[in-house]
Amino acid sequence: MTPLVRRLAARAPVPVYPIAGFGMRDAVQDLRLEEGLVLVDTPRAAALLLVAGAIGPKHRDAVARTHDALPHPRATVLWGGDGDGLAIADAPRIDRAADVVPALCDLFARLVLGSRPTEEPILADEDPIEWRGVGPYGQGGTGMTGGTPYGRPMADLGPDRDGLRLDVVPVEIGPFFARLPAGLVLDLSVAGDVIVEAKVASASLGVEREIQMGAARSPFIRALSGPVAIAELEVARARDHLRWMAGALHAQGMPSLGVRALRLAHEVQPGDGDQVRNFGRWTARTGLFHWSLPSGAGRLAPDLPGMGLGPVSRAAGLPEDLRLADPSYQALGFAPRVLDADDVGARWRLRVEEAAAALDLAARAGDAFAGLTGMVESPRGRLTPGDAPSDRAIALIPRLLEGLEWSDALAALVSLDLDLDESGLAVSVDAAVAV
Amino acid sequence: MSAPAAIGLVALLLVAGTYVVAVGDRWIAALAGGRRVRARTLLVAPVYSAALAMTTSRTTTERPDGPGWALAPALLTSLAALALAMVPLAPGIVAADPETGFVVFSAAIAFVMIAVFLHGWSPNSMLPLHGAYRYGAQALSFQIPFLLAMLATSLPAESLSLVRIVEAQAPLWNVVRQPLGLPLYLVVGLAVSFWGPLNLPDGDDLAGGTSAEDAGMARLLWGMARSSMLVAVAAMGAAAFLGGWHGPILPGPVWVIVKTLALLGLILAAGHLFARIRIERFVLVSWALLIPLALLNVFVSGAFLL
Repeated sequence: MTPLVRRLAARAPVPVYPIAGFGMRDAVQDLRLEEGLVLVDTPRAAALLLVAGAIGPKHRDAVARTHDALPHPRATVLWGGDGDGLAIADAPRIDRAADVVPALCDLFARLVLGSRPTEEPILADEDPIEWRGVGPYGQGGTGMTGGTPYGRPMADLGPDRDGLRLDVVPVEIGPFFARLPAGLVLDLSVAGDVIVEAKVASASLGVEREIQMGAARSPFIRALSGPVAIAELEVARARDHLRWMAGALHAQGMPSLGVRALRLAHEVQPGDGDQVRNFGRWTARTGLFHWSLPSGAGRLAPDLPGMGLGPVSRAAGLPEDLRLADPSYQALGFAPRVLDADDVGARWRLRVEEAAAALDLAARAGDAFAGLTGMVESPRGRLTPGDAPSDRAIALIPRLLEGLEWSDALAALVSLDLDLDESGLAVSVDAAVAV
Repeated sequence: MSAPAAIGLVALLLVAGTYVVAVGDRWIAALAGGRRVRARTLLVAPVYSAALAMTTSRTTTERPDGPGWALAPALLTSLAALALAMVPLAPGIVAADPETGFVVFSAAIAFVMIAVFLHGWSPNSMLPLHGAYRYGAQALSFQIPFLLAMLATSLPAESLSLVRIVEAQAPLWNVVRQPLGLPLYLVVGLAVSFWGPLNLPDGDDLAGGTSAEDAGMARLLWGMARSSMLVAVAAMGAAAFLGGWHGPILPGPVWVIVKTLALLGLILAAGHLFARIRIERFVLVSWALLIPLALLNVFVSGAFLL
């Protein structure tokens, strides 16, 4: 390639495929606000792989596969975490958040200009099982009958759901699918585009407890072991919901509005409830509730009583909220928002309302502190040491997804607002209390 | 128009149109995202991105259909070129003016399904294949309303020639004469070019869908092919509904460009300001609403000519 083309290429926005390891979910999401970077959805579109935070041993092969899927020239940056076991030689290691963007830009420029060599594959380029098919596309041969040819299970006939009996094909989604939390692995059986059966194969990043205990704590995790101001909790709740909206808008095909939601999450202060309501009205005008979210899909009501799943429970008409039992919140006249639609759209509407109400409440709270100890209503529901709402929500996934088309299933999954970091941190608090 | 001149004209329109789409889409994305971006940055960004694609290697998958993978963007670009060749810029300035220009354009649109399906099928990978089948359902649903919306424009002209269709709009543009036509055309045009709310085959929920396995030049060429089809749809909309070259003061070709840019702006804005429609809802709306509306449009247009 001519030097001129390389020089022009070095000026392009840096395409990065991020893997958000433990405790780095928000930090990686914030990179979407950086003008010089483009966070891409597939490693094929990236030049750099960013591994942020710790990744447990059980997902290191997946990191290697992701790495090898990047086209040449490619390079890796390790941000936080130690990168142990990832077998990526010479990858720059960054500790401070302020250094990440300059490091990515610098590495990209050197890579494209040719002063840094591309990274070789980690895994051998070989078939998982010896290829015994005869034809170029696997047809024929004795290995094709009745087994797992080429390491892939064969399609099977599934039940007749709608008068059209289709092959049921097993597929695995995760652990680094762009629209889902890192660490979540789903084993799906799909017939056409409909999910016949879903199992959760992994719902954690699998990092050691010491790493979890050393991670930064959100106000909600800190509230488990000490008093935290209501204003701080409620602003954090509003920001968390807006961060969720940023990801959810992207999943529904509006990444630009997602960036606006993310910016709003950074900017909102106590008393800014109307800003959130205005943004919510804007998003409603995108057709979101009319033609994008599956109306009536993702219902969970029979399983929800007592689950304490925050917005998911309250969208289904259950007034489950630990703040109701908190005298400090009672003194502020707190009343939870409750809807009774129990579907994906209702969870969306409720989070917008809750984010706005949280900012109004934060403005009224003054210096008051939350009154409960050892438990808190996190943005996802009842959080206690060792018991996070996302863990309880994950148990509902198989029933939630069955019978849904993929885009509806993804909208339903996103509507649960799974946070695997919060689960790990709740466990670490439990361990600290036990010690 | 001589063959070399026609080929040159279509190539120029394709390159310029693709560049305009690349710049315009980045600009609207920045506006929708609340980001300030300098004009110079916007203007050079497509050049830098193209250069990066040229320096990036292609990748492969397990046992892909290599020829199909390589052909898909070429086929889509060719279909866009064919469609664009039918668009008259001014009296006497059109790359090709067969008496059956409408049929040629419609045939090109029908074949888009082959290109998109080929692009999703060839990598032998789950997400692209899912996107390919989605476009199959999408295409089967939009073909009829698309053809009917276009067909109504040939009634006042009493011809299938696109030059005649534009000439027949001298007294009154089709957008006024057939008020249902342009909205119908734009909705199904979004579906044809799988853009914005109807970007189901390459959607964000499929991590890029049919292009999820594309890297380097393959990704660039597919993106350019998609943009080309968008330009072709917008240009044909300008010719068939907005009077083509008709307009005061300015020369005819300038009017065609202005009208095409206006439609492109609408389509690109829709891409950032509307949520992705569910495939089930689109199929339902196409068959239950768009086809009856398109038929009504044809009947009413025909009745006025009796």
